[in-house]
Amino acid sequence: MPLLECRGLVRRFGALVAVDAVDMSLDAGKIRAVIGPNGAGKSTVFNLITSVLKPTTGEVIFAGEKITGLPVHVVAQKGIARTFQLCHIFPALTARENVRIAAQARDAQRWRFVGGGRVRNRSAAIADEALEHMRLTRFAGVAAAMLSHGDQRLLEVAMAIAQKPRLLMLDEPTQGLSLEETDRAVQILKGMLGVGNLSVLLVEHDMEVVFKLADDITVLHRGRVIADGPPAAVKANADVRRAYLGGSE
Amino acid sequence: MSGKVAFALTAPVGVLLPFVVPQYSLTVLIEALIFGLFAMSLDLMVGYCRLYSFGHSAAYGLGAYSAALILTHLQLPLLIGIGLAVPATIAVAIPIAWICTRSTGVSFAMLTLAFAQLGYAMLFRFRDITGGSDGIVGIPRPPGPFGMTWFQGKIGYYYLVLGCLFGSYLLCRAIVRSPFGAVLSGIRENERKTVSLGYNTRAYKIATVVLAYGFGGLAGALYAGFAGFASPELFFWLVSGRVLIMVVVGGAGTLIGPIIGGVFFVFVEHELSQVTDLWPLVFGSIFIAFVMFAPEGIWGIVTARFKQKPIVPSSAGGEETSDAAA
Repeated sequence: MPLLECRGLVRRFGALVAVDAVDMSLDAGKIRAVIGPNGAGKSTVFNLITSVLKPTTGEVIFAGEKITGLPVHVVAQKGIARTFQLCHIFPALTARENVRIAAQARDAQRWRFVGGGRVRNRSAAIADEALEHMRLTRFAGVAAAMLSHGDQRLLEVAMAIAQKPRLLMLDEPTQGLSLEETDRAVQILKGMLGVGNLSVLLVEHDMEVVFKLADDITVLHRGRVIADGPPAAVKANADVRRAYLGGSE
Repeated sequence: MSGKVAFALTAPVGVLLPFVVPQYSLTVLIEALIFGLFAMSLDLMVGYCRLYSFGHSAAYGLGAYSAALILTHLQLPLLIGIGLAVPATIAVAIPIAWICTRSTGVSFAMLTLAFAQLGYAMLFRFRDITGGSDGIVGIPRPPGPFGMTWFQGKIGYYYLVLGCLFGSYLLCRAIVRSPFGAVLSGIRENERKTVSLGYNTRAYKIATVVLAYGFGGLAGALYAGFAGFASPELFFWLVSGRVLIMVVVGGAGTLIGPIIGGVFFVFVEHELSQVTDLWPLVFGSIFIAFVMFAPEGIWGIVTARFKQKPIVPSSAGGEETSDAAA
């Protein structure tokens, strides 16, 4: 049974069909990339899975359970962590506190009004581990706003792993990074992915990155799936080439 | 660190003050501390959650009228009457918080204002209970429990207020430093992200508003017990505006700052109103000056002197070893 399954997802914005009958599935421990030109509906698919948007029709099944229409925070509690295309962090807080708050989200005692030293210690330990993973340890005490753009993106990934998710969704993790930064990010991601049973859904523009990381690729074009398969097959697919060359109808 | 220093300096002053200042100044002092507590309660919303309430007078008025009704009708001891005013305020605050947090930003501010004005209007509608425009006068300070009477005098009442302020401050500080408080700072920094981490931010905001009403209600109850009357003006939007200014000028998001802001403004107002009728002009000018030149407030200016500039490790290279290359 796949961990994540999208069945016939459709999302309309007025006359525009942003996502059109998308079927997609992801097995536990696998990495799937969703690629496609600008406006193909990649981020909309992300928002449908995480319940930020409600699908017009269709449903999302996670770990055998229908999660369509659940509140965003409930979906996150099921074990889905995500990063945003435009980096979402807590700028005035330290890097460690950013990640610690993310880790605390999965703590049963996160509601404690007073005290809570143990919750703090538990989540701080998880946070330090996640920062270590992302090689951000030396920035732990620095306000997130002071980090470079690349480090901020890695910080958001650190927050996502600190949530101990079963499904990690990364929305263009290398967007806006320099070449060196991208290489570094890919290396770090590679080291982290495929560890344990973590499944990853990745939206990415950079083909190099996609072919280095993904087990399977879904290609979206104008809201539709035009190809689905392992990297080599997708690379060879004629439709994909046309879509990417900005080709004809 | 600077907080401890400030405490070591101000605590003895606070305790010894009644023996130094003349009786009439004690009145201003007590009012100042009550307003300090009131401003601190609003800081929970404004400073930690970016919930700008423009109707916090509702908390003050609810606390004051609850205490007034309990003390005049039930003849309960003063301490118990004030103590009961807090849950009474909270009971009303829960539906208000539930409704107001459905919206954000300006509409949140307008909704809170609407509830405060609704409270104001209801005082006139239910004249039999609330005394209408006369308010409730002649609120007693019944002795007890255990026959205690120390709070009936001015000096005793001063210590009661000081104790409540100090206790509330410690509690609020524990709250903002708790796991709950950490989530509030997340909401302040980026609510969307906080939701996507798995936090039900609406519930956190409701809890914060209710807490703020609780502490604000305590301030109102202390005021009613002290002044001996509760009048509709306590619910009026001018009170909400004043306390919001106190929070901003004192330093939002610091708890201590708004206490200082509250005390500061009550004194400035008291002194200036004896000299000139134009004191609101000065009040407004101070506010504008702070917003323009010191948005971090009085406490922000004070603590900036103690704080070191953060040291940022060199960026670029990911590995510890690649630092040199950067």
